[in-house]
Amino acid sequence: MVSSFQSPIIDIHGLVKRYGTFTAVDGIDLSVEYDEIFGILGPNGAGKTTTLEMIEGLRVPDEGSIAVDGMDAVRESNRVRPIIGVQLQTTALFEYLSSAELIELFAGLYESDASSAKVERLLGMVDLHEKAKSQVNTLSGGQRQRLSIALALVNDPKVVFLDEPTTGLDPGARRELWQMIRDIRADGTTVVLTTHYMEEAEVLCDRVAVMDRGRVIACDTPAALIASLGIEATVRARITGGSMDPAELRSLPAVLAASIDDDRIALQTRDVQSTLIGLLRLVEARGVTLAEMTSQQSTLEDVFLSLTGRTYDDTADEPAKEPEPAAAGGRRRRR
Amino acid sequence: MRPFLAMVKANLKMTVRNRQALFWNLAFPAIFILIFGAVFSNDNGVTFKVGITGVDSPYRAAVIQTLEANSSFDVHIGDQDKELKALKDNDRDYVLVFAQPAAGQSVAPVQISYDETQGPNAQVGINVLSQVLMGVAGGENAAPITTHPIETLNITYIDFFIPGILAMSIMNAGVIGLSTAFVTYREKGILRRIKVTPFSLTSFILARIVTTLLIAVLQAVVLISLGYFIYGFTMRGNVFLVLITIIIGALAFLAIGFALSGIARNAETAASYANLVTFPMLFLSGTFFPVDSLPTWLQGLTRLLPLRYLIDALREPMMRGHGIASTWTDLVVLLVVFAVAMAVAVRFFKWDARPA
Repeated sequence: MVSSFQSPIIDIHGLVKRYGTFTAVDGIDLSVEYDEIFGILGPNGAGKTTTLEMIEGLRVPDEGSIAVDGMDAVRESNRVRPIIGVQLQTTALFEYLSSAELIELFAGLYESDASSAKVERLLGMVDLHEKAKSQVNTLSGGQRQRLSIALALVNDPKVVFLDEPTTGLDPGARRELWQMIRDIRADGTTVVLTTHYMEEAEVLCDRVAVMDRGRVIACDTPAALIASLGIEATVRARITGGSMDPAELRSLPAVLAASIDDDRIALQTRDVQSTLIGLLRLVEARGVTLAEMTSQQSTLEDVFLSLTGRTYDDTADEPAKEPEPAAAGGRRRRR
Repeated sequence: MRPFLAMVKANLKMTVRNRQALFWNLAFPAIFILIFGAVFSNDNGVTFKVGITGVDSPYRAAVIQTLEANSSFDVHIGDQDKELKALKDNDRDYVLVFAQPAAGQSVAPVQISYDETQGPNAQVGINVLSQVLMGVAGGENAAPITTHPIETLNITYIDFFIPGILAMSIMNAGVIGLSTAFVTYREKGILRRIKVTPFSLTSFILARIVTTLLIAVLQAVVLISLGYFIYGFTMRGNVFLVLITIIIGALAFLAIGFALSGIARNAETAASYANLVTFPMLFLSGTFFPVDSLPTWLQGLTRLLPLRYLIDALREPMMRGHGIASTWTDLVVLLVVFAVAMAVAVRFFKWDARPA
């Protein structure tokens, strides 16, 4: 796959983008290797879309450099455009054209193969051959999303950018899309996607950059990020028929942190088995009963918590600071 | 060239499939033609109601005889006050007041009073009547005979109406069509999507302009055919001049639409700006009735309306058979409108609803 001496397909240094006094992207470095699925993960307003749009040539960085396949993406964006594929956050599709006609149109715009075989292949890839003749306005949200991914592939790009491709899809459709993205990579196309779904980043991406407030706070494979926590899992249970002391819990084998909230306990452990054995001995000695016991493997969510001190769900309630903003009419473009 | 043609082809498909646009660009003007054509189709050619008054003479009698021989004239002979009052009451279009012939002369001076609300027809009628007068006096009068073809007489309402309605359709397709199109492209992120392809936004805009011009020519063919086959519309002038005029007019109005798309915040405001611009022009530029029938103060104001220039530039060749000599000033005005509106459009153009 990636030879160690090959330079990355995308190489970003010191990238900064400000909107007025607000710094959307605050000096990030990133590199994406050929043929990987690279995820940019973060809550709304973290700067994911702005970063992507600077690579795509839609926004001009205030500072820093972006190289795409060895070309300067800021100054040579005309040379970069033919080799990249882009799916924007809003599925920007012309109305009154059928799926097949849209693919033909975009193939025409890229001066690439617009044969019916090519159109069929792309429609097949995103599972839309039955909708070849359907006008875009009759497609469901998920179908439009898939069509816009097909359009991003129309020029056989070296790298394709997908901005929150699964937002708004139901879990089934999301899983199907993950498979399509894996197929795209299998065909030799590098995939860069943004997501605010932890699970998506974890199961789909080879490597993940975690962004928060305009900065990249971690970048590695999902497994390495989780391993870096040193926490294997979190054991939770409810105790009845007595009380327990946090200090006792903390002294159990392999426990890194423990908390008691009313009758609920939570133990972060680097070894589930030894912690459980210790815990069972302790409750037996105390004569209390354990109920509703769960053990949850650590996820990227725990990584985010340990890096930012905030739980990921909390950030969802923060106002989206990413300038969707105030431009003409102050209308937000989100669906 | 291939990307450009692909874009134009797609634009044409989208326009033809957009029922709303199709209605406003073709069905709406066609309905106008059918209704107005039906209402005025009894009016088979213009009949001039002419009052004859003043001092009787053999010359006067000969003029009366000539006029009565022509079915286009409805001749009334009467006393001067009564005839002039009839003119005021719109019962006469023209009143010829004959004076006493000078001593030794058989030809008498004649004053032609006319109804100015008759609009463009008034001048036509005056020309025709002058011609009749000179014709009757012919033997003794050295006045040169002008060469107005007598067909000019048969201007029907449909001949007057088709150029007006064609101009209206070109205006609507340009102003309403382009303003809403570009705002929608911006709002839906289509301009952003195009921007990340190798196809430049300039080419994208040019493709849209070319599409609008093709649609304008299609409108002309459909509307003129409708007038021709159903109501016997007569095209008198040079088809090439008419085509050039249609293209220049379409350019002027699409530029206005494009400028509005930059100024408007969203599709709704774009639509209301477009209506604000087109609606007064529709009624004040002489689409349905001659501008001359408006109050004088309003007539001056219509000089500010681009549609008036397009209507004049279309009627001169289509209705009267005149050449570019009588329309070049209108065409220059339309080109200036195009240049100014395009400059505004470029100044206010936004490819994104968000700041760059």
